[in-house]
Amino acid sequence: MPEVQAAGVIHDLGYRGYDGPRLGRMQIVRALTWHSFRSAFGIGRGVKGKIIPMLTLIAMCLPALVNAFAVARGNSRLFGYDVYTPGFRVALVTIFIAAQAPELVSRDLRSRVLPLYFCRPLRRGDYPLAKYLALTGALLVLIEVPLVLLYVGTIASASGGSAVWHETRALIPGLGVGLMWAVLFAAIGLVLASFTGRRAYSTGIVAISCVLTFFLAVLLIQAEGGQSATSTGARVAGLFSPFTILDGVRVWLGGSAQAGLTADPGRFGPLYGVLAVLLLAACLGGLAARYRKVSQA
Amino acid sequence: MPSIDDPPIEAGAVIETTGLTKVYPGHVTALAGLTVSVAPGVTGLVGANGAGKSTLIKILLGLIPPTEGQAKVLGRDCQTSGEAIRTLLGYMPEHDCLPPDVTATEFVTHLGRISGLPPTVAKERAAESLRHVGLHEERYRLIGTYSTGMKQRVKLAQALVGAPRLMLLDEPTNGLDPAGRTAMLELIGRIGAEFGISIVVASHLLGEIERICDHLVAIDGGRLLRAASITSFTQASQVLAVEVEEGLAQLQAELAARGLAATLQAASQAGTATSQARTLLVPLGGDDTYDVVRDCVAALALPLCRLEQRRHQVEELFRDEQEVPHA
Repeated sequence: MPEVQAAGVIHDLGYRGYDGPRLGRMQIVRALTWHSFRSAFGIGRGVKGKIIPMLTLIAMCLPALVNAFAVARGNSRLFGYDVYTPGFRVALVTIFIAAQAPELVSRDLRSRVLPLYFCRPLRRGDYPLAKYLALTGALLVLIEVPLVLLYVGTIASASGGSAVWHETRALIPGLGVGLMWAVLFAAIGLVLASFTGRRAYSTGIVAISCVLTFFLAVLLIQAEGGQSATSTGARVAGLFSPFTILDGVRVWLGGSAQAGLTADPGRFGPLYGVLAVLLLAACLGGLAARYRKVSQA
Repeated sequence: MPSIDDPPIEAGAVIETTGLTKVYPGHVTALAGLTVSVAPGVTGLVGANGAGKSTLIKILLGLIPPTEGQAKVLGRDCQTSGEAIRTLLGYMPEHDCLPPDVTATEFVTHLGRISGLPPTVAKERAAESLRHVGLHEERYRLIGTYSTGMKQRVKLAQALVGAPRLMLLDEPTNGLDPAGRTAMLELIGRIGAEFGISIVVASHLLGEIERICDHLVAIDGGRLLRAASITSFTQASQVLAVEVEEGLAQLQAELAARGLAATLQAASQAGTATSQARTLLVPLGGDDTYDVVRDCVAALALPLCRLEQRRHQVEELFRDEQEVPHA
């Protein structure tokens, strides 16, 4: 065994302890969050780990770049800040969380590295918290950066302060919608991915859950007469997938019903809001429960 | 964060448990009123699989609460100061716990950060810990390309990176070949002796860890079997092996006449069948035992071919202990 021989020559260098300052728990959580945020984009991983997150981010920015050219040629802005490119965004967010939520949690489960975290000063809730903050941050980058590009591309060709002010006022609710998406889909992605350490399975579970529920909701909306329908069926059809729930919340809070994913929820608006909050709470609760079990194993 | 110097670390015991009991759901008793005190130094925690070693370690790490009783590590209560204790502890799990797709340097640095080290300190200590366990240039390779022996070293390095005062090592020689075991044990012995870190080594191989331990704690069925220093384990067992080519019975009678109860060597202790048939074991009281044996052999004019002091393997004592019912 070569390493046995190697061990023979190292003894005389001396061991030094460490009595300097140590980071508090919150700083440790921050370090873990930053580490996880970087790995959500494949930074610190090999080239293979960067392909999907980077391609997704670039693809997400393309409509904003197209818009910049269009506006420069005299057209008005192509996409709303609050909906951006609805179907495209659903697809890319699904791909991103299906690929990267397992990167954040399944990997550690697979290689059984978790005991090494839980034997350190972290508390049992800190690990899922850090992972959640990291994926939320990564989704914010994925969703909000294109909106900012859309904004910059538009105001670059805008004439006068009032036009810029108008764009800014339109951007802010768009960023708010993006925040809702990031907060909810990070939770959904992580709780589904943390079921198993087999990465292919967790990717499958996340992707299938997102795609199936989305198509179910879209089909129901179509069956009820599409996004402009005002029947009760059309109003509640959006409750069947997280994407359409958030879109319902957006319309309920004053967004346009025509450009998005779902029909106007009308008087069911609060129901969409409550369901969104319940769904988030269920996912975060599930995540916490999952790691309470893991931390004792 | 709580200061690591408060309360002062007792010189007396690094681990103290009183009536520690853990009953898992389904009435599975892992620990049954374990009361033990572990002094600084290298301590072997021995017991068969399922004796409660891992449960004890988890309670000491503050990961699971005991059903009853109390456990203190470095003078702090495990249930109330788990976080402060974990700052001072290094833990090496029994099972594989390394991701294959990162380098040892990155991995140990990251865990150093999680242990609460500032970024540059984490980097330095990761490099040093890996060097101390004998990983040099290899540390820039992906862990997935390592041999089992190198992986065990990375596991040890990650326990060392946070500058612990106490290390809990769970079966550190698992999966290693004899040379790898020896190297790992030497490494642990050196960390205990030269680095000033107290170590608890859990193992089911008593004969193996007795080489590096100052103290031994034997548990069985969640109870304390015996806790003592290695020397007291072996002191009572000093024997003198007397090998003669012939006249074994005469010698035994002569020794008995002079007050020494010599016994025939058991088959398991003898190297060969012939040496078994020619060897007497005499309890070693002091230097005069040698004189009595010499006088006996001389008086009978027997051909003496070997006179050596032997130490019982702790394993045998342990076997004897197990035969008596638990106190």
